[in-house]
Amino acid sequence: MDFLNLFIKAAFIENMVLAYFLGMCSYLAVSKTVKTAVGLGLAVIFVLGITMPINWLINTYLLDGGIMGMDLTFLRLILFIAVIASMVQLVEMIIEKISPSLYNSLGIFLPLITVNCAILGGSLFMVTREYNLIDSVAFGLGGGFGWFLAVIAIAAIREKIRYSNVPPGLRGLGMAFLLTGLMGIAFMSLMGIDPAALTGK
Amino acid sequence: MGLLDFFKKIEPSKDKKIAHTAFDAFFTFAFSPNSVTKGKGVHIRDGMDLKRTMFQVVIALQLCYVFGTYNIGHQHFKALGMYPDLFQAFHLKLFYGLTKLIPLFVVANVVGLGIEFLYAAKKGHSVEEGFLVTGALIPLIMPPDLPLWMLALSVAFAVVLGKEAFGGTGMNIWNIALLSRVFIFFAYPLDISGDEVWVSGLESTKAMSAVDYGWIHTNVLNPIFGWFGGAQYDVGATVADGFTGATPLILAYQDGWEAVTQHYSSAQMFWGTIPGSIGETSKPFIIFGAIYLIAMGIGSWRIMSSMFIGAAISALLMNAWGATPFMTVPWYYQFYMGSFFFAMAFMATDPVTAAGTTRGKLLYGFMIGFVGMIIRVLNPAYPEGWMLAILLFNTFSPLFDHNVLQKNMAKRLKNA
Repeated sequence: MDFLNLFIKAAFIENMVLAYFLGMCSYLAVSKTVKTAVGLGLAVIFVLGITMPINWLINTYLLDGGIMGMDLTFLRLILFIAVIASMVQLVEMIIEKISPSLYNSLGIFLPLITVNCAILGGSLFMVTREYNLIDSVAFGLGGGFGWFLAVIAIAAIREKIRYSNVPPGLRGLGMAFLLTGLMGIAFMSLMGIDPAALTGK
Repeated sequence: MGLLDFFKKIEPSKDKKIAHTAFDAFFTFAFSPNSVTKGKGVHIRDGMDLKRTMFQVVIALQLCYVFGTYNIGHQHFKALGMYPDLFQAFHLKLFYGLTKLIPLFVVANVVGLGIEFLYAAKKGHSVEEGFLVTGALIPLIMPPDLPLWMLALSVAFAVVLGKEAFGGTGMNIWNIALLSRVFIFFAYPLDISGDEVWVSGLESTKAMSAVDYGWIHTNVLNPIFGWFGGAQYDVGATVADGFTGATPLILAYQDGWEAVTQHYSSAQMFWGTIPGSIGETSKPFIIFGAIYLIAMGIGSWRIMSSMFIGAAISALLMNAWGATPFMTVPWYYQFYMGSFFFAMAFMATDPVTAAGTTRGKLLYGFMIGFVGMIIRVLNPAYPEGWMLAILLFNTFSPLFDHNVLQKNMAKRLKNA
């Protein structure tokens, strides 16, 4: 039940993109068509879901006094990024093997997931909020799913408004920013629901 | 053709951009174009253009307008403990409602249409009549005592960022009327939620606090009523003991259905003599408008019925769960409270922002109903869920359409 609570919370209530505005660069860059957005969204779910528990293990058993009682937490950022980078490399190889066309359309943004702040942000949230292993899996998958939802929604909207008579100054990125802001308002509908409090009663 | 001659005479030259746009808007409102398709082609034979489509919605809203206006006055006097019967002091209640509604209506339309005219003149096309419906809907979804500058600001926000930035009428992704309401809802929450704002003209709804009548009541309306020998506004009146301005939803959230029935009977909630946003309270009149829209082929019955089913299923699940008092409210009573029917009839069915495909519409309506009820019952921050649920699924309606189209394409490719 806790797993489900945290998953829903991470996906809808505290959406990575629309509540924290994390992971914006690839969100804005690859949301031009639904097909590439789906591909990158799935990659983000996978990377977040894998790296969060690995980072949890590293953080708990290595950095927090794991090696001869030494406090190695200053290595946290660099180790987290190393884990994320290797996972992204893995995803890249898988996608290149399975779907070369998707690999080509994602282009540079696939390796750039490494510096997608949603993913590093997820791991850092995990540390500050003191999640356990199960929690971090739930938060990773939920956060990834929320990112996926946001990116495919804006991709569909951008496909729809492609032929609209948008004022010239707003075309492209300007419109994407405006859309993101208005989507943030729409996503505020679920903010404030506390699944844990509801099941606790 | 006196009117046509008159229009021809006052037509400004095309160089004066704003003046000509404004003229064109009112001219085409009064006359339909001469060129219509004749004979039996495959062409569209009925010239059901945008203006006429929009006007049907305005007609469907009229009963809500009439009742909403009167209900402002009725709720006001109910708070004072005076004239408790519905038709007592009819003229006082009617004129009180008018003094509240007309400024809201004028401000919403002047600001919205003004921006519309400016953009039309700047872009060099004739005015798009998209604001007609939005301008009619906005006053109905606001609380009666909303400060007018706030309304003007929210309408400007919604029209500029919600519509003109997207390229004008028919291009917007989110419902304009709801965007303007959600702007106030998040920017000035105290003026659009809580116990105090739904009853008009009171400094607060606590006992013995004074009434706040304007200049027009004391100096214009009171002398006229006195001259006819009718009842007048009592300037010294105070709020009656034991009165609460809480809406049924707030009561239900606190203590469940029992608490609601202590203040409002089901008949009151059904007919709409309860505090709330101006146009949302009266269910029969809204349902009449919904039936009119369906009969005219403008509102989508698919969206309306699937939204009802979604809300009912969601409420049934809440009943089964039953963790808070609000969840135990029987599912059919959920529809007596709040603005479900108004959102269903006039907001969710907006053909621009709703999904366009048949299956997309069914899913869109169902999800609004389902999630809207969740927001209403489970979210302690918001008393009512339909506005936010509709905005949320306006966001997803292009995606629903996209998926339906892709599935159809895949199916036809397979058969080809």
